[in-house]
Amino acid sequence: MEPILNIHQISKHYGRITAIQDLSLKVGAGSVFGILGPNGSGKTTTLAIITGVISPDNGTYQWYGKSASAAIRKKIGSLIEVPNFYPYLDLARNLTLVARIKGKPVEDIERVLKLTNLWYRKKSRFDTLSLGMKQRLALSAVLLGDPDVLVLDEPANGLDPEGIAEVREIIKGEAEKQKTIILASHILDEVEKVCTHVAVLKKGKSIAQGRVHELLAADDPVVVECDESEKLKSSLIRTGMSASIEKDGNKLVIVLKSGYGARDVNEFAHQQGIVLTHLETRKKSLESQFLELIKQ
Amino acid sequence: MKSIILNEYTKIWSYMAFRVIILLHFILFFLVVLVTSRLDITIPGFSTDYLYQFPNIWEFFPWVASWFNLLLAILIILMTGNEYTFRTFRQHVIDGLSRFDLLTGKVFLIIAIAVYSMLMVLLFSLLFGFVFTRDMTAGLFVKKTYILLVYFVQAVAYMSTGFLLAILFRNTALAIVLFILYRLIIEPVFRLFFPPEARLYFPMKVISNLTPMPEFLSISSGNKADPGNVDTLNLREMGILAEDLPVYLNLLLALGYTALFIGLAWLLLRRRNL
Repeated sequence: MEPILNIHQISKHYGRITAIQDLSLKVGAGSVFGILGPNGSGKTTTLAIITGVISPDNGTYQWYGKSASAAIRKKIGSLIEVPNFYPYLDLARNLTLVARIKGKPVEDIERVLKLTNLWYRKKSRFDTLSLGMKQRLALSAVLLGDPDVLVLDEPANGLDPEGIAEVREIIKGEAEKQKTIILASHILDEVEKVCTHVAVLKKGKSIAQGRVHELLAADDPVVVECDESEKLKSSLIRTGMSASIEKDGNKLVIVLKSGYGARDVNEFAHQQGIVLTHLETRKKSLESQFLELIKQ
Repeated sequence: MKSIILNEYTKIWSYMAFRVIILLHFILFFLVVLVTSRLDITIPGFSTDYLYQFPNIWEFFPWVASWFNLLLAILIILMTGNEYTFRTFRQHVIDGLSRFDLLTGKVFLIIAIAVYSMLMVLLFSLLFGFVFTRDMTAGLFVKKTYILLVYFVQAVAYMSTGFLLAILFRNTALAIVLFILYRLIIEPVFRLFFPPEARLYFPMKVISNLTPMPEFLSISSGNKADPGNVDTLNLREMGILAEDLPVYLNLLLALGYTALFIGLAWLLLRRRNL
């Protein structure tokens, strides 16, 4: 299937600083694609390029298999960095400008403002809103006209816990409608809950990408407990089955090499005459996986 | 296109600074022409009333209005600078406008403000002209009305200069200061290094010469600007004022500079990150 977004080998430099280096990504239709990375990893630059505000130095990107254009951007709801609105205009007028640009009905403003709980403030000037409210207004603008693709850069920025939960629910709701969502976020727990695919950026390069469950399944450690843990440890090292083994109290935390699983450990222990009293595959959180990738 | 125009309209009419500057522009012009009309200069053979009669008023009012073009240029700098300050140019592109649409919106705004200013001059010219002109004829009324269009081009040219500076510096205060400095100091000083005939081709000179200072002595002495009248007091012929380029050439040059400034603004908008 043709991807909704195809980024091919884009690079962007700011003077001597490399913001992005040969980045390639493919975002399929209906997927929720998380872009992760520490500060300065190139997340926002990537999103700014695909939304047309920054030109890449090299490489290309296509939306719906076509070169990017203003007409295509009208079909995409995007929130990049901070909400940008006219401070002296009220909420309804600010959204009217967006609706006109996107060619969407002005009547939709009521729906999106109600969705983000801002309808009661529709006549308030933008500069009278709190940071969280501004972020919610930006989300209203993104949802205006019910676009098929959403590009969200830190959508929960500045929101209180209740606001974060609201945003998560909105994103989940949009994902359930089979919309394509590209999401950059620092809140890895959110990404893990919402995203189907993820790419991890570091210093402008993609260091890992794929389906979230595949990425998390890779290197899942096997945890065992037995009376002869030292014997098991040395035996495993000799066979070359394990990539690393660490002791965690009475337990051994074994990271297996590719192609081996918990079943292999169990069989190997049985062959060695070692009785395992505990065997589990410990699921890594996206956060721990992310931190490991970033450390490498 | 309609949505771009409607959006510009929404932006300006809700913006207090815009309304204040337009009101100030209107009131200042009205006050100057009103106060000047009430001046009682008692020099035998001279009367300021002649300035308010057709066709002299078509020269006099656009010249007075040209003093306030600075306000119009500041207005455009403000409206364009705001787009950078609020990062709304960036947001508009994200939302689906092309960079050419950004340019189109501001060019529309420049034209709209120039039309307003021209209509203001027309309105007051008609009001004062009909009050002060005694021996009214169609020929007198129509003569020199083209200066209104020349004034329109001048206003557009001034605002285009301001627009370019706002796009170039992306900072309202800096663009306003540099516009004023360039107009009042930098270009006049720079012109001094060139021979007199070359000085007439500099942008601010070309633009300001579109509505040259009327020949007050000649007009107020009762000469109705008949170039064939050898008895007139003509300051240019007397060598007191420098010779200007012909109006058509000035007009062409001003249009050329306007196109150049807008073209440069377009290049900057297209090439730079928002």
